[in-house]
Amino acid sequence: MTTRAEFLDRIRGAMRRAPGLVPAAAAATPARPRAEVDAIRRELAERWPGALEGFRREFEGVGGVFHRVAALADVPQVVAGLARERGVRRLVAWHPGALGGDLAAALTARGLDVVAMPPGALDDPAARQRLRAQIADAELGLTGVDLAIAETGTLVLRSGGGRPRSTSLLPPYHVAVFDRSVLVESLRQAGVVLESWHDGGEPDDRGAVTSFITGPSRTADIELTLTRGVHGPREVHAIFVDKEIRG
Amino acid sequence: MSPDELAIPFRERAGRAMKDAFLQEALTIATTKFIGLRREAFEVFPDGEALRDRARQIKEATLQRLDQHVERLVARVEARGGHVHYATTAEEARRIILDIARRTGARMAVKSKSMATEEIHLNEALEAAGVTPVETDLGEYIIQLAHERPSHIIAPAIHKTKGQVADLFSRELGRRVAADPEELTRIARAELREKFLQADLGITGANFAVADTGTVVLVTNEGNGRMVTSLPRVHVAVMGVEKVVPSLTDLMVFLAILAKSATGQKLSVYTTLVQGPRRAGELEGPDEFHLVLLDNGRIGQLAGPLREALACLRCGACLNVCPVYRQIGGHAYGHTYPGPIGILLTAMLHGPESVKDLAHASSLCGACADACPVRIDIPGMLIALRREVAERKIAPWAERVAFGALGRLLLRPALYRAAARLARLAQRPFARDGAIRSLPLGPGAWTGARDLPAVAARTFQERWDALDREGRA
Repeated sequence: MTTRAEFLDRIRGAMRRAPGLVPAAAAATPARPRAEVDAIRRELAERWPGALEGFRREFEGVGGVFHRVAALADVPQVVAGLARERGVRRLVAWHPGALGGDLAAALTARGLDVVAMPPGALDDPAARQRLRAQIADAELGLTGVDLAIAETGTLVLRSGGGRPRSTSLLPPYHVAVFDRSVLVESLRQAGVVLESWHDGGEPDDRGAVTSFITGPSRTADIELTLTRGVHGPREVHAIFVDKEIRG
Repeated sequence: MSPDELAIPFRERAGRAMKDAFLQEALTIATTKFIGLRREAFEVFPDGEALRDRARQIKEATLQRLDQHVERLVARVEARGGHVHYATTAEEARRIILDIARRTGARMAVKSKSMATEEIHLNEALEAAGVTPVETDLGEYIIQLAHERPSHIIAPAIHKTKGQVADLFSRELGRRVAADPEELTRIARAELREKFLQADLGITGANFAVADTGTVVLVTNEGNGRMVTSLPRVHVAVMGVEKVVPSLTDLMVFLAILAKSATGQKLSVYTTLVQGPRRAGELEGPDEFHLVLLDNGRIGQLAGPLREALACLRCGACLNVCPVYRQIGGHAYGHTYPGPIGILLTAMLHGPESVKDLAHASSLCGACADACPVRIDIPGMLIALRREVAERKIAPWAERVAFGALGRLLLRPALYRAAARLARLAQRPFARDGAIRSLPLGPGAWTGARDLPAVAARTFQERWDALDREGRA
């Protein structure tokens, strides 16, 4: 088996033999990502309505459905309406701590079966298996959002405690709730935010996966016919909440 | 492609493809559509050209310090509890993955689309070891049911009709299904959903890996990449070592141009950033994460004539614009990677003798270099490959003799003029409408796939001399 040392030696040997190379530099990474994120946020304190409009346009352009409500307490009504129209009732939701509020009671009162995710891991494999089956069986997944990118209409979700990966993946309908605190204008700004997430110590409840979601799951693999929901959700809804969720 | 099929000469494979009416139509529709989508995506993206230059710069800078970036990537992946393996050859890569499968007692592996695992012929090896590989990208799933190989880097099943897909599904399910893309997609979702939930092993490629953070990045439209990295208890990512990028900031530059070049989307639907196995506090995700770094001819090219090809993002844009690919499709190339870039990658993997015919499967029109998001000089490298094929005497002897003679002729003007006059007489039985479409005997092999312009009734030199005389008169 090739060892790391052999592999790296071979790379170094080839690099030494490489003929006259032109000078080239990778992109400059932000020196203090957190400070730069703060600066972006300050700029967006004025500009965010434009960014939100851009997000809506792009998100709809990729087949997403955009909603806007005044406060988090208005979300259950929208979700219940969506569920009713689609004839679904089994719902899985991020843990209230991850979502920014406890919506389970209000959703249950509107006739939905709600399974809220536990705040952390489950040690018992049987319990874990049961929960996985529940997520796989659910018809609608309700999640928060860690970053919304206007340039591309993208929702970025980080996995972690109370926010399992498959809640935005296995159910055929995905509803994500966000506010202006997670909104950025461009992929470039999103890059700064990503860098800031790796800047120094990370909160312990963050998982191993960051998912960029740009519209519903799609394929065009059979005669280039666009089809939605091949593996992931066939519909993605983004509910913008005017009053900051954690305000 | 099986060795049997590779035994068929390229010319014959290409000729067969050109007689396949459905393939011809499918290729035209697909490549024309991709070209249009790509053009529109860049038209509304003013930063596009500058970002292409930056992306190329980043690739070059990364290759110049590849050892440091790989070291950093390895350290970060291991710090997150992942394991890194080093494969010099395809055979070694297969052995590493089979070892992981054996040790973890895996019976079924779900795979998201990966050219690297195609390149190492992993599926056959898994099957032989008693592990069932299941391709989960819809196009790859179709190809797997048909026991074929992908014909396009990003649209592996474009050569199949919906009727053929329906036949394949019907055979697999043991019941008749309709030839309707919506319905076929629904069936694939249901079939593959079960596999995702049952599989022990998830196998992916990697579009990028970020050295700074030890993050492996997967780009998909269907969501199968997310399934494969979240549901099975072991995740193995197989990646060509050149795919490392230094930082997340660099990654965003590539993401901004990759999907636009491939499908005309601003971003593909899912970009999945994976940092090692499931973390403490996480409900889901694999217990084990393995990254297999693949050399297989790449590292030598850091100092080789194909170095530029190490910048390739595998977007497929050069296939769509290539007049040869558009005529013959991916299978005729006979190797894992089709199209203009595929010729270079084939030479990288298997040496220049493997492309002695393919090196000529290009009109050198330059459309590929224009379409390439990182501006790889594909025609330049194809010319260099042709030279190497000629110099190493692996080209057919008749071709070498003919071009050697032509070379000597071009150096002697008087002889050249005499030869032109002679050719004008000799071509009479063969020339029609200014072109020679077929020649007998030996030269016939050459005109089999090409038209030769006939020697004009008056050559340029003769007309020039005449004009010159008139001018002086």
